[in-house]
Amino acid sequence: MQERYAYYPGCLASLSQKELDSSTRAIAQKLDIELVEMPSVTCCGAGDIHEAKPDYYLHISARILGQAEQMGCETILTICNVCTLNLRQANKALQEDAALLNRINDNLKEVGAATYQGGVDIRHLLWEVSEGNGYEAFKGIAVKSLEGLKVAPFYGCQILRPSKILGFENPDAPQSLERLISACGAEPIDYPAKVKCCGFPIVLAREDVALGELVQPLEQAVEAGADVIVTPCPLCHLSLDAWQRKAADYAGKEFGIPILHLAQLLGAAAGIEESELKFKRHVTRLSPEVKAKLQVPSVIGTEA
Amino acid sequence: MTEIKNAHFTTLQGAYDTELMEATLRIRRWDPDTQRARFDTFTVTVPVTASVLDALDAIKDTRDGTLAYRKSCRMAVCGSCGMRIDGGAALACKTPMKKFVDAGHTITVSPMGNLPVIKDLVVDMAPFWEKIRAVKPYLDTKDEEVPDTEWRVSPEHHEMIHKESLCILCGCCVSECNSMESDPDFLGPAALAKAYRFVGDARDTDTRERLRDLNGAHGIWDCTRCYFCNQRCPKGVDPRDAIAKLGAESFKEGFVRDEGARHAKVFVDSTYKGGYLRETELVPKTIGPVNAVKDIPFALQLARAGKVPNPLSPHKAKDNDEVKRLWKLLEKEAKGAERPRAMHPDAVREG
Repeated sequence: MQERYAYYPGCLASLSQKELDSSTRAIAQKLDIELVEMPSVTCCGAGDIHEAKPDYYLHISARILGQAEQMGCETILTICNVCTLNLRQANKALQEDAALLNRINDNLKEVGAATYQGGVDIRHLLWEVSEGNGYEAFKGIAVKSLEGLKVAPFYGCQILRPSKILGFENPDAPQSLERLISACGAEPIDYPAKVKCCGFPIVLAREDVALGELVQPLEQAVEAGADVIVTPCPLCHLSLDAWQRKAADYAGKEFGIPILHLAQLLGAAAGIEESELKFKRHVTRLSPEVKAKLQVPSVIGTEA
Repeated sequence: MTEIKNAHFTTLQGAYDTELMEATLRIRRWDPDTQRARFDTFTVTVPVTASVLDALDAIKDTRDGTLAYRKSCRMAVCGSCGMRIDGGAALACKTPMKKFVDAGHTITVSPMGNLPVIKDLVVDMAPFWEKIRAVKPYLDTKDEEVPDTEWRVSPEHHEMIHKESLCILCGCCVSECNSMESDPDFLGPAALAKAYRFVGDARDTDTRERLRDLNGAHGIWDCTRCYFCNQRCPKGVDPRDAIAKLGAESFKEGFVRDEGARHAKVFVDSTYKGGYLRETELVPKTIGPVNAVKDIPFALQLARAGKVPNPLSPHKAKDNDEVKRLWKLLEKEAKGAERPRAMHPDAVREG
């Protein structure tokens, strides 16, 4: 973990999933991390621009990376899987191909935008607080034990695969979320679909195909006895939370399982108030039991 | 005369000059006669250099001759021995056994997913081939005469389809395709990577027809971007990237009517117009205004939780005129570009 990051919340956390942004800012404050704003950035393209206009995608990515560089930040902090993959994928292409980077920089210069020299890294919040000094720092602020809460980790795809671009942990047996769930005093629940797709990228264009995918983690997490699912991705969150009703109709059974953003789970353990965590902004509401568990004011053991 | 060495034969003889190890494998068995599945665990002695395939050979030769699996080249070229190793599809011949033995780990070997199982580790590849055939996996030069000499492709043109040309048709990418689990008719990563191999071929003239076919139901826009295919491919084909290239080719050729393409266009337009995604435009522009109206009760659920941003004051990033100028610059640049074309040998001869 570093002391200062260029903060790239991305579209969803800035617009429909604002609770993720406010939770992240609250956590960063507790951890004493400075989040430097990036007021001129665009969407990362979410894979859609990469697919439709790959050259434009590389240009807008270089512009985002160049802005971080000009702000004197070595690292962009992301809180979304899709932003993480898209920015890292573009970064890799730009860093590995000097001719490409030169051409793009010429174009950026021509339109008066920041150019990029290739010196920025992109890291997801999950990676920063699940190991090393970030993990120790988090344990230090996790003052409220979430004991008794059974939490199913849902990684989503684009923080794990392809590992040659992401590469933080074994994509088939990740453990970072489990580590953090345990550090919160809660109990991680294991189930096979935790590394699979939530269906969100195609939920509008191919709703039935997407719902067939979404049903798997919901069904398995509930069957495994989870109280809540936690995810590091706001797209997975929207799918699991807002589309849960449609998934239930599709599967012909009720799930009723609340979905937490990673920053909300960490925030609850750090004793951050509901006014920042904003659980009320979820479509699938927290049950009174889960709410009580998320707010139990007992102190974690002495290990921190 | 040189003795022909067979790995387990010589293992049995104790004549192997290399160090040996004990490998334990848990194998999913499927008996087509009884229609029953079971797991069998075997421990065999193999050289430390053994692959998972070598271990399976040792089991079949020394422990259970009824074990069924496919193999041929034993060197990651033929694509026969795709199977799930601890749940992830891989080539058995390309997966060394030693790392598991060293870790004291018993691997679980099971058949590939998304394909019907015939017996034990053997899957029915018929649906796989059907999809490969559906994308017309051969060069179509239409009216161009078939030349007497080689139709040369420049290194630059070859580079465009190099990765996709590496496919050995093993099926590992298909095994874990999340969209295919949900829609078995989805063409899937192997067939689509093959499709791009021809769409991107500088000799092929069937590009528009190919792209039109790929833009329908069960085509490129079914891909959910789970990236399992890129992760699993043993040859570095990166099928998901090939699907993205087919999307880009579709845009170039004006195939932008599929819901998937319309969805992608909203992202492009949002950055150009303001910066961040215009979420409220995404639904009506992707599924059309009529379907969007049908979805109003759902939208109200989201609105109640505060998840619908005000459409009247969309996000506007600072300095977004830079992006607008960038877009115009690139569109101008792209307009002049022609589809890469390898010259017909006759034209080359005639100069």
